[in-house]
Amino acid sequence: MTEKMKKFNFLMLVVAAFCFVGCDTGKKEVSIDADVYHQSMDQLSEVIVHDIFSPPIASRIYAYPSVAMYEILALDNPQYKSLAGQLNELEPIPKPTEEVSYELAALEAFLKLGTTLIFSEDKMDTYKEELYAKLGEGVNSKYFEASVAYGDEVAQHILKWADGDMYKQTRTFPKFTVIDDPARWQPTPPGYFEAIEPHWNQIRPFVLDSANQFTPERPTQFDMDKNSQFYKETMEVYNTGVNLTEEQKEIASFWDCNPYVMNVTGHVMAATKKITPGGHWIGIVKIACKKADADPMKTAQTYALTSVALADGFISCWDEKFRSNLIRPETVINRYIDEEWLPLLQTPPFPEYTSGHSVISNAAATVLTSIYGDNFSFRDDTEEKYGLSVRSFDSFTQASEEAAISRLYGGIHYMPAIANGVTQGRKLGEFVVNKLEFTNESLSKK
Amino acid sequence: MSILLSAFACQKAPEQPKRFALLSAEQTGIDFKNSLKPTKGFNILEYLYYYNGGGVSAGDINNDGLVDLYFTANQGPNKLYLNKGDFQFEDITEKAGVAGTGTWSSGVTMADVNGDGFLDIYVSNVGNYKEAQGKNELFINNQDGTFTESAADYGLDFEGFATQAAFFDYDRDGDLDVYLLNHSVKNPEVFSKADSREKSFESGDKLMQSQLAQGENTFVDVTEQSGIYSSLIGFGLGLGISDVNNDGWPDIYISNDFTENDYLYINQQDGTFKDDLQHRIRHTSRFSMGNELADLNNDGSPEIVTTDMLPSDPEIWRKSVVEDKSEVYDIKLGFGYNHQYVRNTLQRNLGNGQFSDVSLYTNTYASDWSWSPLIFDMDNDGFQDLHITNGIYKRPNDLDFLNYLSNVDKTLSQEERDAFLIETLPTVKIANLTARNTGRFNLEPMAEEWGLDQPSYSNGSTYADLDNDGDLDLIINNTEQEAFIYENKSTDNNYLKIALKGDGLNTMALGAKVVAKSQGQTFIRENNPTRGFQSSVAPVLHFGLGSIQTLSSVEVYWPNGTYQKLENVKANQLLEITQNTTATKAFNLSASNRALLTNTTFPMAYSHQEDAYSDFKQEYLIPRKYNTEGPALAVADINGDGLDDAYFGGARGQAGEVWLQNANGTFSKQKVPTMEQLSISEDVAATFFDANGDGNLDLYVTSAGNEHKDGHLYNNDKLFLNFNGKLTFSPMSLPQLGAQAKTVSAADVDGDGDIDLFVGSNVVNGAYGTNPNQYLLINDGKARFRDESANRLPKDLGMINDSKWYDYDNDGDLDLLVAGEWTSILLLENDGTGNFERVESESLKGTSGWWYSLHLADVNNDGKMDIVAGNLGLNTKLKASAEAPLKLYVSDVDKNGQVDPVIFHHQEGELTPFATRDDLIKQVSAFKKKHPDYKTYSKLEGPQELLGESMERAVEKEAVTFESAVFLNKGNGEFEQIALPQEAQYSPVMDIISDDFDGDGTLDLLLFGNNYSYRNDYGRADAKPITLLLGKGNGHFSSTIDAYLNTAETWGEYRHAQSIEVNGVKHVIAVRNNDKPILLAPNSN
Repeated sequence: MTEKMKKFNFLMLVVAAFCFVGCDTGKKEVSIDADVYHQSMDQLSEVIVHDIFSPPIASRIYAYPSVAMYEILALDNPQYKSLAGQLNELEPIPKPTEEVSYELAALEAFLKLGTTLIFSEDKMDTYKEELYAKLGEGVNSKYFEASVAYGDEVAQHILKWADGDMYKQTRTFPKFTVIDDPARWQPTPPGYFEAIEPHWNQIRPFVLDSANQFTPERPTQFDMDKNSQFYKETMEVYNTGVNLTEEQKEIASFWDCNPYVMNVTGHVMAATKKITPGGHWIGIVKIACKKADADPMKTAQTYALTSVALADGFISCWDEKFRSNLIRPETVINRYIDEEWLPLLQTPPFPEYTSGHSVISNAAATVLTSIYGDNFSFRDDTEEKYGLSVRSFDSFTQASEEAAISRLYGGIHYMPAIANGVTQGRKLGEFVVNKLEFTNESLSKK
Repeated sequence: MSILLSAFACQKAPEQPKRFALLSAEQTGIDFKNSLKPTKGFNILEYLYYYNGGGVSAGDINNDGLVDLYFTANQGPNKLYLNKGDFQFEDITEKAGVAGTGTWSSGVTMADVNGDGFLDIYVSNVGNYKEAQGKNELFINNQDGTFTESAADYGLDFEGFATQAAFFDYDRDGDLDVYLLNHSVKNPEVFSKADSREKSFESGDKLMQSQLAQGENTFVDVTEQSGIYSSLIGFGLGLGISDVNNDGWPDIYISNDFTENDYLYINQQDGTFKDDLQHRIRHTSRFSMGNELADLNNDGSPEIVTTDMLPSDPEIWRKSVVEDKSEVYDIKLGFGYNHQYVRNTLQRNLGNGQFSDVSLYTNTYASDWSWSPLIFDMDNDGFQDLHITNGIYKRPNDLDFLNYLSNVDKTLSQEERDAFLIETLPTVKIANLTARNTGRFNLEPMAEEWGLDQPSYSNGSTYADLDNDGDLDLIINNTEQEAFIYENKSTDNNYLKIALKGDGLNTMALGAKVVAKSQGQTFIRENNPTRGFQSSVAPVLHFGLGSIQTLSSVEVYWPNGTYQKLENVKANQLLEITQNTTATKAFNLSASNRALLTNTTFPMAYSHQEDAYSDFKQEYLIPRKYNTEGPALAVADINGDGLDDAYFGGARGQAGEVWLQNANGTFSKQKVPTMEQLSISEDVAATFFDANGDGNLDLYVTSAGNEHKDGHLYNNDKLFLNFNGKLTFSPMSLPQLGAQAKTVSAADVDGDGDIDLFVGSNVVNGAYGTNPNQYLLINDGKARFRDESANRLPKDLGMINDSKWYDYDNDGDLDLLVAGEWTSILLLENDGTGNFERVESESLKGTSGWWYSLHLADVNNDGKMDIVAGNLGLNTKLKASAEAPLKLYVSDVDKNGQVDPVIFHHQEGELTPFATRDDLIKQVSAFKKKHPDYKTYSKLEGPQELLGESMERAVEKEAVTFESAVFLNKGNGEFEQIALPQEAQYSPVMDIISDDFDGDGTLDLLLFGNNYSYRNDYGRADAKPITLLLGKGNGHFSSTIDAYLNTAETWGEYRHAQSIEVNGVKHVIAVRNNDKPILLAPNSN
């Protein structure tokens, strides 16, 4: 028996233990509200943080489980449309052959895929065991099992789809080669990590036709002449950095979203781990859904839409990063302006242009606005448990603009990466909104 | 009878007293303990060297003939213990007034600074930094058991990050100058360009020149004018003084922690120093801590030992931060730093101030978090032994701590967070390293047998004969643990102690060298007390003499250059030698033998230029790159004028070159247009032969480089036909092999009168470890070759590096000898028509290794050609034997289309992956799922647990020997294996020349070695470029003092060597990767 089968049997045992005698006669209904989905998403985020996934990979981990969850619920809801045929190469999921709880199957598919895509499976399993024990109370065990089995079947279907997205193959592609050109990216302290995911543009996008569909304007030409535009932009980062106000510092830290910050004191190295930029917006989805009192269906829709926009945002942004391969301000400033200068935030390990946070935040804000409107104020406490503050916003757009400018305050981006990143993200978001039809209403809108 | 015997055997032997006995504080009165009191303002997060510990200095402060001890406590009062004899000590700190006022003390040393004949004490303190306040302190001996702190008066009240000091007379003016070793606290993790060491910083190292000889009791800062670096990037932790180049003047070795290089300052004899490390030492420790300079092999030249932090326990190793990832390693090189590895080094002095790191050969490279290395004769057997202290009270390089444990609750306050972090740092207490030297760099672990295996957090250490019984006792300063006083109970050997009385202000003759000789043996000691880590020894020289009763001579080279000689000196005494001569004599070892070869000025303007490609970008886990296999070399008379000409290959982007010899022995480059057109391919091996039977020698060149897929156009080998001395590419001659071809050998194998070829390949691009194709190219007589390997050659020969046509059985046809990495030496029998079958040779069966070179010669004069085979050597982290082989498993573990080569080696008897968990995960991310954290991973039980079901699909290879050896031909396919001497095992042997270099009628061997292609966690094999071995005529060889062949000019990584006649005299030409070739001429005398 494999480890996994053992775990599964144990799980069933736990479920069975709660229905005592006459389980076959228990109710054929599992009570799952949207909160269960939020909790499960939080759990996935926590494991992503623990396992230290980079932002692009994290975005992929959010997307497939979210789509699976949506697809199952949509089967049961005539107002909603499948994304099969809308997302690249997604084929319709199998239909259940027995009576099942779609809510439970959706949850199962979500957790199953989440567990497959992360490393620390035990953490997901423990969570699921506890959750299922509670959900299974008084439920007809055959019904419960059939729902779980169906969820697994859909998870397999989605996994097969995921397997075709080039992720596996990109693991074998050559590592990034740093070149000795003053304009091009160099690894940055203190980890001097190699550039992550140089071939991420090979990943099949969810909605985009191709990774380069929203190629931004060219970045400013590297030039250290004191009168050059590039020099001015570098000095803007430097001067902002040395004159930061308290609020700017707070904003920069609030949107840091760096999954792995290395703190080094001599021989002592300690990492600080946080959610990724994508993870932050997944947190905002929860806040929005709760505020809007979204039902499980709408919740799943919001997660699916936002997570594919985020994932495509990273593909588009990474495509540009390794096209322009631009050097980070920290390297330029240390070389030419101030050897001792350190940015407020630790520079993440990939080229500068465009700003990932700017692209994906604006893509996410655009798609969220399409569902919840532009005047949607919310209180963002996503990273409170990572010791960061709570900030309030009048709209998703406002939040996404703040996320973008925070990279200047953090000292890790020049202004063009931010401004052009915002444009790139918005265009991409609008494309996603226009292309995907979630409900029959959206069909009628056109 | 048998019953009696076994009964006797079963009787428990009475507990033998061990060589060392740990004495208790109650016994000795030394109750010293370096206790730490971390505060919120001063702890490991506030000060990076919080757990480096204290030092200890030995010296007779009251001239009563008993050596006293001074211990530094980081945060407590330092202590001076007066030796009352018989291991009784009295704490006289208070009385003497030497507790010091600094709040953080580091190192201590003693010297007679003011020249009054009494030892003074100099303590280094950290000052002007957070809670560490205080300046360095100089306690001048009042000659009555009390001291007066006088650092300010002498100008030695340095304030900053002081580590240790060393007093020595660098300018030979008769007084003691001082080197102040300091460290820094600047973010060591942010790399600055290496040349920023030239920018001076107030707390950088200092050289202070004493003005005593000039009539003033003061010191002047001469740092800048003397060429000493004094920068922010110097994290000085180790300071040693010794004459490393045997010119009689004291040189300085500085160990720097973190990214900065170590420095080897050579005394220029004019008041200045020059850091010449890069021309003498090819790599150093990375986190260099303490150091020690002393002679281990009794050749008169000091070795250099530096300590680092590599764990030896595989379980600890698997969860510790060790080497940099290979990409970060390259970044540091890019910033201008030297090659540095996280391990101890033992730099063997070749005798000319050139060093070979043999720490991997001696197995002393990993002693965990190490501090103080000391070389002294612990058993008085005449060979100095090695002791290294280790341990860190809080272990900050734990990977779980870094990645998982340190992710603290972010809602805590900064202060609470810090406290949590410090609390969470793991602790491991381990025993210090003790290694007995049995001569010739054979070091055996002895901690347990000698009673020195108590677990501890040990830092500074010193040795001294505390009870004047003729052996050296050992004193160790521990953190949070009482100091160790080990009594040496040796009684089995003779000794001699020498105390020197200088005639001037340097009253104890610091810097003097004493050479004691007897029965052809030479023992040398230098009187430089500052040693190890933050510690110093007493200025008494101690010689273990084994069974020697009388020394034929004792020579003293006094620090001012004068010389004195005593004859017939009896052992087992304390000999006082007073300086009473004005005769000067330059220090002279006079032991070097005749130089048989001379490196000449290379007569051709060719230099190999390697391209920048790195295989590791494509195949992260492979043990070495295959992009640096060139250059090719071939020698022949191309134009038929009777003179040898040469062909050199180019790397990618560099054309091969042909150089024709002129009648006067000079060479002229011949333009070969087609070679220039083909410069895109990388030339790795070449040979001249007559391909078309026209009597001219044509040229075959293999193309490889592992940069392009097998089958790629650029990998196709090239044949250049010789038309009246002009070479032209012949595009139709060869089949398109497209292999990574490493070797080519030409001969008529099918007996049809034309010359055929074997072409061997050593790697499959993108699939290290799988078997590349090998090729037998059959000539149709018109220089058109067909690949007939499929039906003429056995399959799966392996990764072949070298090949030779070899009629081992004297049956008249040429058999084939091949060998490579993960292969045995393979012999293939020719059936006379060019069909080959493996010879099942019992004696070659168990020879799988990493073979690089094969050479045929009759080394025992029995008329049969023998094999000389060059292997990886024994100076490597990789250890292999039949019982504990090195293993390779190749399979596509994660089924992503790329094979994953995983190497397992035996570490302390346990089969463990050579790569770190992080590196394995980079290759196969699914490995991360196997274990939740490093702690669980550290319990890994072998390949099956890691590789799981992919083991079944894996190609499995092994190596059982890395020793280069001679195989004497017994004529029947069997061979007698004879290992080459130790010096031939220091580096991989890349090519071999045999000749009678010394004219005694037997063949000698000239080995060309070094290979820098290994991944940084294996480390460059850079210890020995050239080795000359003299044949004894029976297949055995002896090593020679061949330092004259191993100089800064000839160091490099060799690829091929050949004999070449220049001006009518037989020379040896050898090519180096990415460098100029060399030409060695025989010495006519």
